[in-house]
This record gives sequence, C-alpha cells and structure tokens, in this order.
Amino acid sequence: MHGSHADFLARIQLGLGFFYLLLAAMNWVAALLLWRDGPKPYFKLGGITVTNVFAWLIVGGLFLIVAPFAMMGSPPEFSESVKHVINELSGPVTLTVGSLVAMAFLFVFRGWWTKPPIAWLLLNFSLLAMGLAVTDANFFEIVGKPDNVPIVGLVYLLGFFTWLATYKAVINDDRMAQGLPPIEKTEDEKVLVWPDLVYTEMICMVAMTALMLVWALALQAPLEEPASSVKTPNPSKAPWYFLGLQEMLVYYDPWYAGVVLPSIVVFGLMAIPFLDFNKAGNGYYTISQRKFSYIVFQIGFFELWIVLIILGTFLRGPNWNFFGPFEYWDAHKVLAQNNVDLSQYFWGGMLGQGMPKAPAGSGPGMEFLYILWRESPGIILTLAYLVLLPPILAATVFRGFFAKMGLIRFMIMSNLLLLMISLPLKMVLRWTVNLKYIISIPEYFLNF
Amino acid sequence: MAEQKKLSVQEILALARKQKAEAAGEAAPASEPAAAAPEAAPPVAEAPAPVAAEAAPPAETPPKPAAPKPAGGKMSVAEMLAAARAQGAAKPAGAAAAAAPVPKPEAPAAPKPKPAAAEKNEAAPKVGGPKDTASILAAARKGAKPGPITKAEAAAKEKADPTTDEKPARVAPPMPVKPAAAMPKAAKGAPAEDRRGFLTVMFGSMLGLGYSALALAGGLWTLGLARFMYPNILTEPPSQFKVGFPSDFAPGKVEEKFKAQFGVWIVNTEYNGHLEIAAIRTVCTHLGCTPNWLEAEQKFKCPCHGSGFYKDGINFEGPAPRPLERYAITLADDGQLQVDKSKLFFEEMGQWSDPQSFYSV
Repeated sequence: MHGSHADFLARIQLGLGFFYLLLAAMNWVAALLLWRDGPKPYFKLGGITVTNVFAWLIVGGLFLIVAPFAMMGSPPEFSESVKHVINELSGPVTLTVGSLVAMAFLFVFRGWWTKPPIAWLLLNFSLLAMGLAVTDANFFEIVGKPDNVPIVGLVYLLGFFTWLATYKAVINDDRMAQGLPPIEKTEDEKVLVWPDLVYTEMICMVAMTALMLVWALALQAPLEEPASSVKTPNPSKAPWYFLGLQEMLVYYDPWYAGVVLPSIVVFGLMAIPFLDFNKAGNGYYTISQRKFSYIVFQIGFFELWIVLIILGTFLRGPNWNFFGPFEYWDAHKVLAQNNVDLSQYFWGGMLGQGMPKAPAGSGPGMEFLYILWRESPGIILTLAYLVLLPPILAATVFRGFFAKMGLIRFMIMSNLLLLMISLPLKMVLRWTVNLKYIISIPEYFLNF
Repeated sequence: MAEQKKLSVQEILALARKQKAEAAGEAAPASEPAAAAPEAAPPVAEAPAPVAAEAAPPAETPPKPAAPKPAGGKMSVAEMLAAARAQGAAKPAGAAAAAAPVPKPEAPAAPKPKPAAAEKNEAAPKVGGPKDTASILAAARKGAKPGPITKAEAAAKEKADPTTDEKPARVAPPMPVKPAAAMPKAAKGAPAEDRRGFLTVMFGSMLGLGYSALALAGGLWTLGLARFMYPNILTEPPSQFKVGFPSDFAPGKVEEKFKAQFGVWIVNTEYNGHLEIAAIRTVCTHLGCTPNWLEAEQKFKCPCHGSGFYKDGINFEGPAPRPLERYAITLADDGQLQVDKSKLFFEEMGQWSDPQSFYSV
C-alpha cells in the first residue's frame, strides 16, 4: 500500500501544484477575455462595484495562493467528516435519487445556472472539489487509474456540452417567448466547405493528435496480468461504455439484461422518429418546445447511462460491492445482501406458508402449473404493470398524447417508457428491500 | 466539307433526317424550312469539332439551327406531342397534312412540325415508321414477313390475324383429344427415363463428368476442412479424475486445489440436513465468471456482478438466478473419490438428491 499520508502527498504534490496553477491561469485568461470585451459590473460589495474582470482575477489569485502550499506537500484537504458524509451520500439509493433530484433542479432552474458567470463558478467549484479530493489516497487510486483518467475527462466534457446546449436552448426559448425567431434563423449565413470547414477540421486534427500524444506519453497502458480461465480479476469491469450494461446485469437475468433489454433499447431508439409527433425544434436548440422529449432523453441518457457508468467506474469495487469514493477497496467488505424473490416474500412472508411445490413424481405439465402458481404474484404484477398501466396513463396523464398518437403508437411509446423506468425501479427495489427477481423460474432459465 | 472528314454520329443522323425531309418535303408549309435544313444541320453537328467549326463561318450558324430544327432536326417532346395531336386530328377527317390547323401563324416555329410530322405519317411506311411489339410478334407468329413491320402493315394484317387481340375473335376452341402418350398411365414409365436422364446429365458428356468431378472434389475438401476444425490431440484434462480419499476432506472445508486444473471445488458440508462431499463447478450461474471462495466470509463471491453463494453452492445474493452446479462424484474401486465432469446436477431441478451428485459422509 501507500505508506503514510505524507508520503502520498509528496508523491502527488508536483501535479497538484500545477493543477492549482492551471486553475489560476484559467481564471485569468477568462478575466483577460472579459476585459477585452469591456468590463461589466457584477454586483456591489460595500459601495465598491465589482466588475466581472475583477471577480475572476480574485478567484485566480486565490488559486495562485493555494498552489505553492500544494507544491510543498500541504494542500488543503477535505476533513474526515466531510469525506464520511460524501461516502454516505454516494450510496446507490442516494446517488440515483439524488441525481434525479439534481436533474430536476437543473431543468427547473436552467435559466439561472446556464448564465456564463454561474456556470463558470460551478466549474471552478467542481475543479476545486477535485483538487481537494485527490489528496485522499483511495480517491486518487480510483480516479488516477490510467483506465479512469479519460472517464473523468469525459464527465467534464459532458458537463460542458450539456451546459452549451442548455444555454443555447434557454436563449432561443427566451427569444421565441418574445416572438422572435430562434438565433439559428438569424445566423443563416452561408459557410463554405473550403476554407471554413476544412480549416476547422485541420485545426481539430492537429489538436487531437497533440492530445493523443500527451495521453500516450503520460498514462501507462492499463495492462493486467496474463489471462487465466480460473482467475477472474476482482473486480472485473467491462469497458467504460459498457458499464451501464454491466450494472443492468446486476439486477436482471443475463438473457433479459444482456439481450432483451438492449434490443428494446435499440428498437426503441429506432422507433423515436415514428413516435414523435412534435414538429417543433427542427434545426435549433429548444427545451420549452420539446419538454417531453427532453425529459425522456435526460432520464434515459443521464440517469440510465451516464450515472450508471460513473457508478460502475468509480463506486464498484472488489466483489462488485459499493464503495464510497474515499473508501478503501476492501475485498472482504461484508455487506448484508440476502436477496429474496418476490414469490418468497409473498408465500413465506405474507402468507406464512411454504412455497407451492409440485408433489414428488408428478409430470412436467403438473410441475409447470405449480411453477406458474408459485410465481403468480410476480406474473400478475408484471402483467398489470405492462398491460393495465398504459390505458390508465392514456386516460389520465397522457390524455393529449393518446389523442394525438392513436392507439398503436401510444401503446408502443408507453410500453417503451414503462420498460425504461422498470430498470431504476428494480434497482431501487434491490437496494431497499433486497428484492432479487419479481418472476423467478430458474427451472426454465426465465427470470425477470 | 462534312464529307471530307469522318462523319460523327450526329452528322450521320442529321444527314439521314435531311434525306427523309427531302423525300417528304413536297408539302407547301414545310418545304422552306426543310430546304434550309441541309445547310443548318452540319453546323449543329460540327459544334463539338473545332476544326470543322473553323471551316464553317460561325457568324451565320447561330440563327439558323433554331428555325429549321423542327423540320429537319430532332423534335422536342412538345413538338412530338403536337405532332401526335395533329395526327389524331387528321385521321378522322381523312385529310392530308396540308389541312392540319395552324393555331399561331405569327410564331413560325410552332406550326411547322405539325405538317412535317403528319406527312411523315403517310410517308413513313415505306421508310420504316414506328414498330410496336404487338406487330412484330404478330408478324413472327404468321411467319409472313420476318423482321419488323410497320404499324400500318400490322393494322392491315390484323383483321385476318386471329392471334391479335380482337375481342369478338376470342372463341374458346374445342378441347383436343388427349393423345395416348399424354394419358396418365404413361406417366409411370417416366421416372425410369428421368433417372437415366440424370445419369446422362452427370456422366454422359465430358462437361457433365467434369462438373461432377468438381462437385465431388469440393465436397471432399469441405469434409476435410470440417475435420481440420477438430484438433488431433486434446490437451484438456480427462473428464473423469480422482481427487483423493474421503478422509482427505475435512468437514466444513472447501478444497480449492482442483480449481486451476479441473475447475472444481470439493466441498464437505451440510446440505438439507445431511453431511456430504460434493464437487461444485467453478462457474457462476449468472454469466459464467469464476467466483472466488472467501474463507473469512464463508461464501463464494463472483467478481463480475457480485453474485454470492453459500458454502453448499446455494445462491443468496446478487443476480445469480440458480445455485452453483454439481459434478457427479462417486467412490472408485480403490476407495478414492472420482469426479465425472460429463454429468451435471442442478439443484433447482431437484437433481441434488441423485446419489451420484454427492458422497455421503
């Protein structure tokens, strides 16, 4: 392991110092750019008007003060109690529900947080939190793995593009509320392939090559020990883009999570153009004109893909147990996870009797009937979820949708939505009541 | 000048049209532009050839092609349509081309094609005229005139020809009497002939023989390839192997030393209230990873998706839907336990009560 904490800090001090210097430079470049455009007052502090240039100069200066401390091996750190709270909060239930709440917050207050100063401030905060967190050896080990460094970069990239799209959508929505056309309509100047596009592509190519060079030189290739059929690495992780799939497999039977659900995802994505009846939003950013599509996309993409990738990358440790970001990856961590099938809950827990079992020596048909009888609570529940809910939705929440889409399109859409939502539902049920399978027929390799 | 050099396709076409126009050119309205056509046609054709363009004064060429084009040159679609209409109008009246109506006298280009085309209709039969599939077919059936015939010829013959589609002529002919050869009984002799036919096709000619040999060789190659896919030597451990005497396995212990070579844990534990030694397969029933035996926690734990199993192999945590599987284990003649990996026993199917699936301690 790492030896003492001071040794660890000495190991990372140079990198961390440069990290803070980079933060200072970043803020000062922003201040410089703002100064060139002409300073604007942000707010008043005790009679002094603080301009945007001044504010970011100050922030950069603060980072500059921190940098030498980090470089000398005594950087600012999270206290143990804060780490503990963060560990607790990154449990699966709080992470999933919390990310949902955060998404709702970002949706409702999109007009506020997309303002450039606020977004810049949020970026500064997240980078500062990263700087504080890497002083923990356990956190650094996970985040600094050659495998995982690009994923951290991807998370920031995703944050940037989310901000960009939301920012443009907010501007367009404001304009269209005033009766103006979207900003893309006013920017319909003809752009030539040569030289405009080709030059852009060439610059991107050069920048990308430089990035790849730095990446290849700075990060070790994530090679592991020679493969062996009897020794599976612990934890065994899929490539990062499949970690959402691997996380799905934890809650469902392989045939369902590995074959049926991905196929439904693919066919559902293909069905979107045929299900979408909203003609607005072609060729410009908007949220308020496509609220339903936007929310469904955010849940499907962020909640069910990105959050699961982050969870799988950073929070899943040995034996596929959950570990907080500052927790040591202990292969012998003991978690009470005695999973129970719904039928066991029903027959054993609620009725207080044994599971229905075919009498010994009965034929396969009889056994099958007994299995159906045993799993009847789960089967009824699943059928009710998929068959009864769509008409109820059509009569209540999605009344307008049903009228516009017609029966078949509405049924397809509502079933796709219900199957999508069944994933987080099942996850939360597993985490909270240790539910293993709603329908469990291992005799026929059929579990749901 | 055009004759001196090699004629291009366009020039040949233009010449052909010129001759045609001259042949049909006696009608009054079309005569003037038709006469102009010979002069106009070569410049049009020469336009791509720079040498010829030099020779022909280019100053006079531009205006001329426009005017004579309808008569001598190619017809545009509009002109063809107009011609067709004029034809239709001319037919009922039985009048010649000169009678064709002139809708716009002030536009000289418009009326000209009509007379020209109408004349063509009369003159065409001798030259060639339009040929349609029906007429060609009809001629072929009659055998009267091999090769294409004109519409007019076809129309003339149509009346006598019963094969063309004239509705009143469609009278069902009486069914012919079946000849003796077509009687159903005769079919019995056919298979023998067919079989002989098959042999003839396969081996009767050098070509057939060659293809048959090729097919045979290809089939043999395919079989050989299929054989190649199976290795000559299997380095796998035998599916039956001895693991030691029952006394080697202490109660409550999981023996891991056969995991690497054979993929088996030998477990001496209690299952359903009775002590037994069993051979458990080291494959997770979720997705086939290899679980680890955690001595401290007394459980098998899969590193891929977190499935957990008790010491007896029963699943209790994570997504694994079924208990681990057992191999057959029996007592050999020398008193050692023998594991047979060719037989599997599934707990959920009630197969762990099979006497081969465990060794009772």
